Amino acid sequence: MKLNIEGLLVYFPYDYIYPEQYSYMLELKRTLDAKGHGVLEMPSGTGKTISLLSLIVAYQRAFPLDVTKLIYCSRTVPEIEKVVEELRKLMEFYAKETGERNNFLALALSSRKNLCIHPEILHANIVVYSYHYLLDPKIADLVSKELAKKSVVVFDEAHNIDNVCIDSMSVNITRRTLDRCQNNVDTLQNTIQKIKETDAAKLREEYRRLVEGLKEANVARETDIYLSNPVLPDEILKEAVPGTIRTAEHFVGFLRRFLEYLKSRLRVHHVVQESAPQFLKDIFDKVCIDRKPLRFCAERLQSLLRTLEIADIADFSAVTLISNFATLVSTYSQGFTIIIEPFEDRTPTIANPVLHFSCMDPSIAIKPVFQRFQSVIITSGTLSPLDIYPRILDFRPVTMASFTMTLNTFNVCLCLVALSSKFETREDFAVIRNYGNLLLEMSAVVPDGIVAFFTSYVYMENIVASWYEQGILENIQRNKLIFIETQDAAETSMALEKYQEACENGRGAILLSVARGKVSEGIDFVHHFGRAVIMFGVPYVYTQSRILKARLEYLRDQFQIRENDFLTFDAMRHAAQCVGRAIRGKTDYGLMIFADKRYARADKRGKLPRWIQEHINDGSLNLTVDETVQLSKHFLRQMAQPFRQEDQLGLSLLTLEQLESEEMLQKITQIAHQT
Amino acid sequence: QNMYSGHCELQSFAPLTESSISQSTMASLSEEVLLVVKKVRQRKQDGTLYLMAERVAWGPEGKDRFTVSHLYADIRCQKISPDGKAKIQLQLVLHTGESTTFHFANESSALKDRDATKELLQQLLPKFKKKANKELEEKNRMLQEDPVLFQLYKDLVVSQVISAEEFWANRLGGINNTDPAVVNNKQEVGISGAFLADIRPQTDGCNGLRYNLTADIIESIFRTYPAVKQKYSENVPHNLTEKEFWTRFFQSHYFHRDRINTGTQDIFSECAKQDEKGLKSLVIQGVKNPLVDLLSLEDKTLDEGYGICTTLPSTSNANKTVKESSNSAIIKRFNHHSAMVLAAGSRKGVFTSLLTASSSETSSTDGNSRDSDFFQPPVKKVKLQEAIEYEDLQRENRPKTVALNLKKSDRYAHGPVPLQSQHYTTSQDIINSVNYIRHEMMNYKPNLTEVLSSTAASSAIAALSPGGVLMQAGAQQAINQMVPTEVQGELKHLYVAAGELLRHFWSCFPVNTPFLEEKVMKMKSNLERFQVTKLCPFQEKIQRQYLSTNLTGHLEEMLQTAYSKFHIWQTRRMMRKT
Repeated sequence: MKLNIEGLLVYFPYDYIYPEQYSYMLELKRTLDAKGHGVLEMPSGTGKTISLLSLIVAYQRAFPLDVTKLIYCSRTVPEIEKVVEELRKLMEFYAKETGERNNFLALALSSRKNLCIHPEILHANIVVYSYHYLLDPKIADLVSKELAKKSVVVFDEAHNIDNVCIDSMSVNITRRTLDRCQNNVDTLQNTIQKIKETDAAKLREEYRRLVEGLKEANVARETDIYLSNPVLPDEILKEAVPGTIRTAEHFVGFLRRFLEYLKSRLRVHHVVQESAPQFLKDIFDKVCIDRKPLRFCAERLQSLLRTLEIADIADFSAVTLISNFATLVSTYSQGFTIIIEPFEDRTPTIANPVLHFSCMDPSIAIKPVFQRFQSVIITSGTLSPLDIYPRILDFRPVTMASFTMTLNTFNVCLCLVALSSKFETREDFAVIRNYGNLLLEMSAVVPDGIVAFFTSYVYMENIVASWYEQGILENIQRNKLIFIETQDAAETSMALEKYQEACENGRGAILLSVARGKVSEGIDFVHHFGRAVIMFGVPYVYTQSRILKARLEYLRDQFQIRENDFLTFDAMRHAAQCVGRAIRGKTDYGLMIFADKRYARADKRGKLPRWIQEHINDGSLNLTVDETVQLSKHFLRQMAQPFRQEDQLGLSLLTLEQLESEEMLQKITQIAHQT
Repeated sequence: QNMYSGHCELQSFAPLTESSISQSTMASLSEEVLLVVKKVRQRKQDGTLYLMAERVAWGPEGKDRFTVSHLYADIRCQKISPDGKAKIQLQLVLHTGESTTFHFANESSALKDRDATKELLQQLLPKFKKKANKELEEKNRMLQEDPVLFQLYKDLVVSQVISAEEFWANRLGGINNTDPAVVNNKQEVGISGAFLADIRPQTDGCNGLRYNLTADIIESIFRTYPAVKQKYSENVPHNLTEKEFWTRFFQSHYFHRDRINTGTQDIFSECAKQDEKGLKSLVIQGVKNPLVDLLSLEDKTLDEGYGICTTLPSTSNANKTVKESSNSAIIKRFNHHSAMVLAAGSRKGVFTSLLTASSSETSSTDGNSRDSDFFQPPVKKVKLQEAIEYEDLQRENRPKTVALNLKKSDRYAHGPVPLQSQHYTTSQDIINSVNYIRHEMMNYKPNLTEVLSSTAASSAIAALSPGGVLMQAGAQQAINQMVPTEVQGELKHLYVAAGELLRHFWSCFPVNTPFLEEKVMKMKSNLERFQVTKLCPFQEKIQRQYLSTNLTGHLEEMLQTAYSKFHIWQTRRMMRKT
């Protein structure tokens, strides 16, 4: 159908439309009109992607000078491929409706192995790739730095974007890294020696360039051609490379000294935590390395590698890592912490020292994106509470809205079971047995597939062992086959496929899985692959980690976000991700069971997305296992009735005429929940 | 401490080899006797137990007749008294639920006698069991599903016109042998996921555990763990007896969860290794559905050394505690078990192929069912399309249809004969015609000058109504209306029964074997018996009710035709003989 969205002609490749899709496009258009950023939450299965694509493509066609490019970032490879398929569908629809061949160029990058696209990326109208291409400075510098300012950037499935940002800026250094780095430095030394004998002019030319400084890059940045690189701070663009590391040999010597210093730091016997300035002071005291050459380290190394015409940069990943660390630690006095751990907590007898240089501020990595591009859209099925993302990513959105799934009848049955799993009591025999009984009872009443999530892998292992000893698993096996996520991705993939096979052939199966694990983040359990999801416990992050503690402290001091608020927000977004795995559309239905009484508390409930909250009522709170079973039976019987398009039409499914009626337009404006 | 002192109460096992049966064969009497055991008491009477080709029998001492005789097919299972009990007994449980207990009373060899009997029964019973059950089930099913057949069965067998065997003789053909397609298409029964749970041990009171095994459980074990089956065929009976084998199985670490310390003397340690190998090859093969492939889920862009949590739990076994590795062994085992159960259920002849192929790294041990039709190369595209499809957003494009609403389905079944294909009307046609007729009717203008006068019209209607002048010729209708429904029903049953008997009769021609000769004679007398016991009483009955006797005329005619055919055949035969 062809839609009129506040004067914009939008081609939408379906005969019907969900009201929330229309509402979503409306908000999106307003964001683009305002040339600002937006935060939009809409549950999965409501056709978010096609709404985004339809609207932005229409916008690009209508205002080619205002929006030149769409940069669509998603998280997983299948997600990226799905976007491409939806785009293809849209393009076919355009071709059919307008009768003209499309001159739109879309480009998808789905693996760094195929990285050879630099010129194309500049010309494409639409680029689809993974977050890292934009957020990881090491890659963004190669792929994305010349993308036009007038691009619209979309981060889909963005509920974890802060972690991606942090990951891309953090560095871990082990003994092995240092050993490999040592080898790299030796190789560099030898290569320099050789070139010196054969082609000394080349090195002299490099020296001359370095005296000139990074003027070129500076000009480029000032004229706004490039996306800025957080590893290449503004200050050093204006200065020449310091004399101490200007010649190749000096630089290699410098690297050696730095390396020796790091080795000495790894020889600690107790945990050390310090800030970047403390680290810089120590390195100056011990080995007289100044802050300034450290800042140039990454850039200086790149120059050297280019000069030496080294083909395979991958071999030099260790020395690259070290020099990136050097630059970061000397550039950012805030937002990072250094933790040196001599051994893993679990195995205090085995020395395995690691230097963590952890980024605590996700806004550092994403700042260039917000600064450069006129519209950045953060969207996902779970972004609640919406206001937390602008705070931790440090930006000012023009729109923030949350949409729910409109339905004729509820296709979700939500149960909050009053079981306890507080950290102190969760090893309790009774708790484990209650969990087991719940799963056992559900395995008898729910058809096909059930997915159960635990709060951590170790916890799941222990529960599985207890259930095995108590004979609970055997009883469950009478109803369904059992598959369990393991820490090996290949093994889990196999289990997943078998799980689907068992659901497919009617035998039915249960998948035991882990919140924050790969399954919970990337696998959908549509229709019969997931008729019930059970979330055992509240998936809090492991709070004993020093890195997390440092981050919580930082959030409190810098953003005034209380530790508990953040931890709960984080736990709830993961819980929502887990239970959301099973409902992937309006024709889908399933049970969502939160098996922990803490979910009933207002501070937890309030942080769940609106599309989950609206299913919570007094009848679904504080249930016993028996009540849950009764509720489920009733619900499943209702849901077994055929789903008919006629029943949905006019309510949760609209024809063009229905959409255009005054009354419906009125209703639609209320769908978007503004904050 | 070894808790598993292992009594296995054996109920029945899969058949062993044919040769072992003939070893104990003792030919005598008219029936083949396979085993004779003396000094066996039954109901406190001394006597002798005979195991014959098709039945087990017992006769009291000094008498030459059997007071107990059971066909093997009637026996559901045998049970034996546990070792160490004073009385050495063997019990036969019948399908009917009755049971017979034999007490082996020979002081010197009681145990040996009992075990010999048990072993032989163990080999014999399964052969008859399957056949008998299957047949009985099938017969039951046929009678239940087909009311006409059931009535026929009552008319002919229950009233003893023909014997049950005769009745089934050429009906069961299809079940037993002839149609291989039917047999092969039969859906294979899968394995219960919890079959291991069904062998929960019970304590026997003296520091031991007792596991109850049935043939079904053993088959499940073999199908799920082909490596065990292989061990079984390698070791039983030459190295171990069955009992020893299963005792060791339950004692082994293989059966128990912590498979991490399988000792070398454990014959099942190899099985664990094979399972491991199978699981590995399964994992290495990878998955066919790209949407569940966790390995290619992420566009892995973080290089080594970057990121927050690269040093979370190291997977090396070195720094795992014993508990942790035993926990992960359980998890591995559940995944493997489920995969194998799934595979065993969806493949045919799995475990025979597994046996032969278990040493090579071919597909079979891995538990992968290779649903190759399901996951073909363009699978990725298909899966993606599926994933992005919103079926409810699309208008259904099927042509409009009229829903078929059957109020009386029998009228539909016996209704008009199917039209020729060119006369077939599509739903669209019907809709069009309805519209057309509606349109016609709206514009209908009666041509009043050319209609019948009302008197002529009403007399025509009267003539065409039941009882009218023009309706007299309808003789069939007369039967419908003149004969009470009860008689009609009876007549129908007579027709069906007669038809069945006649079918048997005519199927004997041409009579070219002695068997058929015998049968045709029997069938003729069956027909006569039918006439006397069924047809004649019916005729008398309708006479009593003053109904037209020619109701049965056609039936008699059919019987007469058969009789005369029989006479012609008999006279010819006599002539040939003389």
